[in-house]
Amino acid sequence: MSLLKIDRLTMRFGGLVAVDAVTLDIAPNEIVSLIGPNGAGKTTVFNAVTGVYEPTAGKIIFNGHETRRELTGKTALAFSLVGFITAVVAVILANLETVWEAAVTGNYTYRQPFPWTKALASAQETLTGHWLVPALSGLFVGVTGAWAVWERSRRAPEIAARAGIARTFQNIRLFNQMTVLDNVLLGMDTHLRTRFWDAALRLPLFWRERKHSTGKALETLRFVGLEHEAGQLAENLAYGHQRRLEIARALAMNPKIILLDEPAAGLNPAESKALMDLIQRIRQRGITVLLIEHDMQVVMNISDRVIVLDYGAKIAEGDPATVRANPAVIEAYLGKSDARA
Amino acid sequence: MSKLKFHWAFLLIAAFIPAISPHFAELLRPIFVMAILALGLNILTGFTGILNLGVAAFMAVGAYSYAILTCDIYPFQLNFGCATGTTVLIGLLAGLALGLPTIRLRGDYLAIVTLGFGEIVQDTLKNLDVITKGTQGINPLPPPPFSVYYLFLAFLTLVVLLNRNLQRSRIGRTWIAIREDELAASCMGINPMKMKLLAFSLGAAQCALAGALWASYLGSSGEPGNYDFQVSIIALCIVIVGGMGNIAGVLLGALVVMGFNSIVLETLTNFLKSHQIISSSNVFTAPGNWKYLLFGLALILMMRFRPEGLLPSKQTKAELHHHEPPKN
Repeated sequence: MSLLKIDRLTMRFGGLVAVDAVTLDIAPNEIVSLIGPNGAGKTTVFNAVTGVYEPTAGKIIFNGHETRRELTGKTALAFSLVGFITAVVAVILANLETVWEAAVTGNYTYRQPFPWTKALASAQETLTGHWLVPALSGLFVGVTGAWAVWERSRRAPEIAARAGIARTFQNIRLFNQMTVLDNVLLGMDTHLRTRFWDAALRLPLFWRERKHSTGKALETLRFVGLEHEAGQLAENLAYGHQRRLEIARALAMNPKIILLDEPAAGLNPAESKALMDLIQRIRQRGITVLLIEHDMQVVMNISDRVIVLDYGAKIAEGDPATVRANPAVIEAYLGKSDARA
Repeated sequence: MSKLKFHWAFLLIAAFIPAISPHFAELLRPIFVMAILALGLNILTGFTGILNLGVAAFMAVGAYSYAILTCDIYPFQLNFGCATGTTVLIGLLAGLALGLPTIRLRGDYLAIVTLGFGEIVQDTLKNLDVITKGTQGINPLPPPPFSVYYLFLAFLTLVVLLNRNLQRSRIGRTWIAIREDELAASCMGINPMKMKLLAFSLGAAQCALAGALWASYLGSSGEPGNYDFQVSIIALCIVIVGGMGNIAGVLLGALVVMGFNSIVLETLTNFLKSHQIISSSNVFTAPGNWKYLLFGLALILMMRFRPEGLLPSKQTKAELHHHEPPKN
């Protein structure tokens, strides 16, 4: 059974076909590398899988489901609720002055008790014959508006993230003004149960969870070797540490698969070696790893499988040794050999 | 821990001000209201990074709701507590109503929407005179149940505590993450729209609270023109001068900006007039008439030389000292 299945994914930006009918199959607990020359469409595949882009065509099936919001009964109920509220507001706004005059101004004498039932009756009387049009248009606007917004947000990064897809970015995107610890805590945010009132009134759950989550975050930091930097601002970390922090933040989400976008970029040989070790340990935790990498040392050493993209299409797939010997791959990287030379 | 004591010391000093200088206490009351308004804006602009140029409109919604609910020319005549509570709820709903359709707009576009909302609310209040009495304003309102100074101080303390608690919880953390990098935050499973909407309606509710307190202090809803763009800009000034995203900074900003406005400029104008250095017939020479120019200048200078404000929000190690990692 495959964990992540990308079925004929196509991404088109205007006239440019960035990804052309790519099909991938990632099994659980595999380490798969996605390689290819610059501009081959590797990061675009990542962005489509994590919901940053809506695919032009093709399907992304993760863990047996498409990573998009499902149309459930609850959603339909929410649409009708929004429609109903808009309808009520429309009726009120359309008749505000006349109803107020009939119900409040007409029945209230200064400093006398207010006849509420009579006021209600007059309001009802004024509304007769004047409520249907605003109510229907309000209902229409509310339901279609809610539906349109929902439809546009069906495939959003948070849906993929909640399904269990974590990622890092090619050009590091940490929350620079937050501490290292807070960055990791943000990663586990979807697993926290503190709600508004717990936080606002500092109810017991808040304290309990704060202690628990801080402990867990420190554990994650220890896993990547950053436990002594917990109190630093993320922007003050060394470059290699920032890369590690991004991985820690992704791991804190407790994902099923982690997508690493060039994790070894800018690292020195010792750091790359440590990174390879870290990726192996991530796999030992039962997390599948899909990575984009240019550092062939890293790719060939740790990958179970290598997939090569060129100009948006898959040109080769297989174990590292086979791919390295594949003439199409050599051609993509080095160009065609000239027969006359 | 010492930081906490520091705050309580401030509160204690504030509690004794009326006994020491009744005049100064009187001047502080509008500053408290503006501080609540600016704290509402701070949730949006400081924490979440949404620019709102229409906070005065939410203040107006609050002031008018409070006035309608308490004034005896209307049948409702609620007491102070119920009216304030209902007003906060109305502010929350107003924020939700504006936020729901517009929160997906990015940056400047949302700022323009809030700017437009500010104008719409003013014009609506002016023209809906069956309910709002047009430009007369609704009055008289019953006076607040006890000392205005302590009442406002209590509300300000409550608002500060609420904002601080939220800031130092997962909610505040999420807001700041959205400000820092919305895409990265959503890739962590956070729904940015939901969190922004929460910030938006919560900020609106606080602005409405400021409006309700303001109306109870004036004994009138004030006229719609009292809640114009200038009020929104002053609130923004307070947040920027004080330090975006820092509660203590916003309080300091309120004191500096409003103090400058209502104490320094006023005293200076009176002084110059009484010594006949300037004539009261020439509007250009009175310092009080230069205040918006001075605010604008202050904003430009702050943005150029100290964009983080007087008391910048610092998320330093201090916050983390009590859960330092165990050494092993």
